[in-house]
Amino acid sequence: MNEIQYVGEHLLPGQIGHFLLLLGFVSAFFSAYTFYKSANTLDDTWKKLGRIGYTIHAVSVLGVIAMLFYVMVNHYYEYRYAFEHVSDDLPMRYILSAFWEGQEGSFLLWMFWHIFLGALLIYSAKKWEAPVMAIVMIIQVFLLSMICGVHLGFGDYVYKFGSNPTLLLRDTMEAPIFNNAEYLSRITGRGLNPLLQNYWNTIHPPVTFLGFASTTVPFAFAVAALWKNSYHDVLTPMLKWSLFSGAFLGIGILMGGAWAYEALSFGGYWAWDPVENMSLVPWLILVAGIHTNVIAKSTGYSIRSTLLFFILTFVLIIYSTFLTRSGILGETSAHAFTEMGLEWQLVAFVLFFLCLGLILFAVRYRNIPSKPKEESIYSREFWMFIGSIVLFFAGAIIATSSSLPVFNKIVNFFDPSYIGAVIEDPIPHYNKYQIWTSIFITILAGLSLFLRYKEREYKAKHLKKFFTRAAIHALLAGIITYAASFWISYFETRYIVLSWACWFGILASLSYFFTDGIKNLKTGAAAFSHLGFGLMIFGVITSGLNTRIVSTNPFAQRGLVDDESLSKVISLIKGAPMFVNDYWITYEKDTIDGQHRIFDIKFERVEDSAVVESFTLHPNVQFDREFKKVAASNPDTKHYLHKDIFTNIASLPRSQMDISMAQEIEDSLEYKPYKPALGDTIFTSKHYGIVKDIIYNPPLEDSFDLSVAVELEFKNLEGDQVYTIKPAVGVKDNMIFEIPEVIEAFNLKLFLQDTFFTNVYNSENDLNYAIYNVKKGESFLYKDYKVQLNQFDNNIDNQQYDAEENDVAVMAVLSVSKQGESPQIVKPIYILRDGKSFSIKDYLPEYGLHIRFEKIDPVKEEFTFSLAQDVRNFDPISLLIAEDVPRSDFIIFEAKEFPGINLFWLGAIMMMLGFIFALSRRWKER
Amino acid sequence: MKKTYIIGFLCIAAAIGIFFNASSDVSTYATFADAQVRAKVKVTGTLDLDKEFYYDPNEDPNYFSFHMLDNDGVSRKVILTQPKPQDFELSEQVVVTGKMKDEVFVASEVLTKCPSKYKDEELLLRAET
Repeated sequence: MNEIQYVGEHLLPGQIGHFLLLLGFVSAFFSAYTFYKSANTLDDTWKKLGRIGYTIHAVSVLGVIAMLFYVMVNHYYEYRYAFEHVSDDLPMRYILSAFWEGQEGSFLLWMFWHIFLGALLIYSAKKWEAPVMAIVMIIQVFLLSMICGVHLGFGDYVYKFGSNPTLLLRDTMEAPIFNNAEYLSRITGRGLNPLLQNYWNTIHPPVTFLGFASTTVPFAFAVAALWKNSYHDVLTPMLKWSLFSGAFLGIGILMGGAWAYEALSFGGYWAWDPVENMSLVPWLILVAGIHTNVIAKSTGYSIRSTLLFFILTFVLIIYSTFLTRSGILGETSAHAFTEMGLEWQLVAFVLFFLCLGLILFAVRYRNIPSKPKEESIYSREFWMFIGSIVLFFAGAIIATSSSLPVFNKIVNFFDPSYIGAVIEDPIPHYNKYQIWTSIFITILAGLSLFLRYKEREYKAKHLKKFFTRAAIHALLAGIITYAASFWISYFETRYIVLSWACWFGILASLSYFFTDGIKNLKTGAAAFSHLGFGLMIFGVITSGLNTRIVSTNPFAQRGLVDDESLSKVISLIKGAPMFVNDYWITYEKDTIDGQHRIFDIKFERVEDSAVVESFTLHPNVQFDREFKKVAASNPDTKHYLHKDIFTNIASLPRSQMDISMAQEIEDSLEYKPYKPALGDTIFTSKHYGIVKDIIYNPPLEDSFDLSVAVELEFKNLEGDQVYTIKPAVGVKDNMIFEIPEVIEAFNLKLFLQDTFFTNVYNSENDLNYAIYNVKKGESFLYKDYKVQLNQFDNNIDNQQYDAEENDVAVMAVLSVSKQGESPQIVKPIYILRDGKSFSIKDYLPEYGLHIRFEKIDPVKEEFTFSLAQDVRNFDPISLLIAEDVPRSDFIIFEAKEFPGINLFWLGAIMMMLGFIFALSRRWKER
Repeated sequence: MKKTYIIGFLCIAAAIGIFFNASSDVSTYATFADAQVRAKVKVTGTLDLDKEFYYDPNEDPNYFSFHMLDNDGVSRKVILTQPKPQDFELSEQVVVTGKMKDEVFVASEVLTKCPSKYKDEELLLRAET
């Protein structure tokens, strides 16, 4: 077979990209090896080689990123990555989102941050540079292997390493279209998933991936310390990098929550989704590590646990990568990427670093310095350590539950008859343990602040003061917890305990912050973070536990369900207010704006049967690119200081969701013909209608050259509901259109058949013109109409007339009056062009009168007009009527109140600010 | 006794306690036959496309019924007390959570798995024509 010469392809970027991928891979390997040699030999030549390797690697990866952006920005759909993630109509502001929508792009983003961090490490890590960079570069080797796309053959078996983003579409997909040399002109990109067309997806992934990437640094320091068997001077850089990582990973996770809450229809900021869990777990372990690191720096205790926590943090990060990207979570998660055949590579990635870390740790265990004497039970380090253990425990519980699919897969591998287990109700399952870990952590977060490091004599000197202080705060916390019960409900004892623990933590942190914290900003930052944590958890009680569903109407339930709270949505008919839970809610209107259909939902809050507050929210649905289907639903939220009201379009009538459904419904309708005359009454099975009037050129949504409508008045048999409708037929550019009318409340749809148009408006051939000669100011009688030639007008405003040079064109202004009716003006036009005469007629649709300006006799000053009238036949008026038409004028609507949700956000932000304060204090430390 | 051992002991005790406590939250995917005897279950299976779907949001937006074949091939009517999920008819696999009430399965949650390849094919077909 001959090679096809494809037209219009740009092959150079792909070739460069592919080369850079391989160069980046090789140079990462080279750099890792040379840094490794340098770390072992302490030879600066090796270190220089390592830096050169790093630089080549950095340039290569940045080059691949640039190449991918280049083909995406230019819409080179010959490249698979561009085809899959952009489209002609994708706004450029989403180009970043589109870049990291795919696995390959997100791996590149991750590597990009490693390169950035690598530069900082080379600049600042001093004696730790070589061992730390060796670890970072070997991680880069693994990451780059995910996208380098090398095929390795073992006999008949070919293993593909990674998925190469620089490949051409036709090399990755088989389809008949590629037999066409001009296939490129016939395809367009698939574009970005509408759910991701959101500014959150521009900011959330880079921050999260910076968080991911930065966990590498404490890990690399921990491994380097074990490798070099040197522990004390690693604690300072490890602490500042773990604070950096804790800040960015934490902010990334919270941004994910904010995105889910603000822009997605999940209806909350946290759903215990496996992917959320698996980014939270490493953060919890990292925070445990930060605390033991502080202990280690201050007292020399807990060095072992610090190293172990940082090793586990990074391993858990790559484990979560494995979970999200291997497809093992299946349909249990909203985040999962599409499968790419990377499972075994990802397993190798996780196992390599798990084994590296744990084996080194085991080998060096006895060498790691520890103190012979245990911490005093009255010391800060002891309770901080306990707190770290609790954090670790919290993470371990979540990780174990989230790993159930992995466990299933492994057991299933050995025993194919094994049926996988699932957690029946994930949210209560996770909550029931994390309530207690939160209680411990909030109490310890407050209590440990009252204690001191290395205090051997605390018992004798301060114990009484300590207990008094703790007791006062405990009492105050109890009072606030009780006071808060007037605002929110606790439902169960454990939530009362949690609330009390939160307030104990908050108050203790506050008093510590103002007594000691402002003197010493390092511990001040800790107190600030602890305060934020307490507020955040209390915010979970107020907003999560006390979520109130506004859109519930228990009367509508069918009695099948015992639990009425299960009904979370109501259906709102356009224009019909519904009263639920203190609000009149009205679906007022909807408008199309681009790919979105935006709904105006009016809320009126009623107190003592008076409307006290009124506002309108605008949730919307987003259509897919072809405008055929609803692809996503975007909520809208009303924010107050003390609560939020969250609204979302849960669903729409079938015909509004999907154009093929609309067509299916239309096809299933049974139309019956009706042929009434003007003034007749027609009966359908449940309603009747009277033919009231004929309307010429009625106002319609689209403009037509000529149209006619029939006005009907429909009533139900009880006669208490009346609707006036005007089905019409119109002609535009010689095409005839039927414009139906729907009475949603009666489930009726009516068409006026196009034959009616010709019954009303005659074609030019069927007209019999009569000719009249008049002078200016004179009048004549045509049938019942008195026609007077008033004047002439040279400013011709008729759209049908295209002026040409040397035209002689005159527009006559005539008035036509019928006995007892007000006169109407007509303006026919006479044109003399190249010695030929033309006329543009004017028409009075109501009378069916056609008036032409035929001739000018300049000698006699006489003007010739010809007139004709349509022969009209209103009997019968052909109508088609369908009954039982499904309503399309309603929405399925969800509205929830989240009380005190701002406490959650405020607490979360304060906690993160605490990290940043601590980081800025420690950044300069050596 | 050293405090480290006490802490270690407490941790192990807590872990064992949590493990046994959590094992009651876990169950295997069930069939309709299992659902007759167990309180709340997750049933996997496929849609029974021969039987009717019922959803009239006008009447009750929180009521959707369909028929489903479990892994033993038994067909049962399922009532979902939520709006009908998008693209429901297209789903290859369905997981319903709930309990049997007489011969009807009342579900509080439905997870569907839609064929993912369908998008690819559609696009290339469109490009063909």
